[in-house]
Amino acid sequence: MDSFSSSPSSGSNSQFQSEQLKNQLKAQLAQAYIEQFMETISTKCFDKCITKPGSSMSGSESSCISRCVDRYIEATGIITSTLFSSPH
Amino acid sequence: MDPSQVQSAEFAQFLAQEEQRAKVGEMVIKITNVCWDKCITSTPGSKFSSSESSCLSNCARRYMDMSLLIVKRVQNMQ
Repeated sequence: MDSFSSSPSSGSNSQFQSEQLKNQLKAQLAQAYIEQFMETISTKCFDKCITKPGSSMSGSESSCISRCVDRYIEATGIITSTLFSSPH
Repeated sequence: MDPSQVQSAEFAQFLAQEEQRAKVGEMVIKITNVCWDKCITSTPGSKFSSSESSCLSNCARRYMDMSLLIVKRVQNMQ
């Protein structure tokens, strides 16, 4: 109770601004990460699945893309857990 | 202590932490990128074979080993 009444209004306001800035920064970093990740997946899966671009996307190409995206995400998971588990 | 000083120190710590987090994220993206090319040579199936997933783990560990070696090698040149 005492800490609430003694905290100056200007202090809590700037603290609020700082929290806002932090959240904004985190959101932008997350956005940049996702964009980079999507860009890599697109490059990899295009190489794997669209070997001879036809006049339209075939069913086998689009199912290859689905599998490729799933596997790429899985590969990212395998590598993340390998790097952050015990060495060797 | 001046409250703005406390805040800027805390904010600097926050930035350093986020920078570290971003670097780790970049590293995972980079290693996945190169290890995918090394290990996934056929068209992606509905699940990884055991040789593909162990190749990915080995590849990630060897990439880290290599990075260390390169740092040491370059340091020795200076």
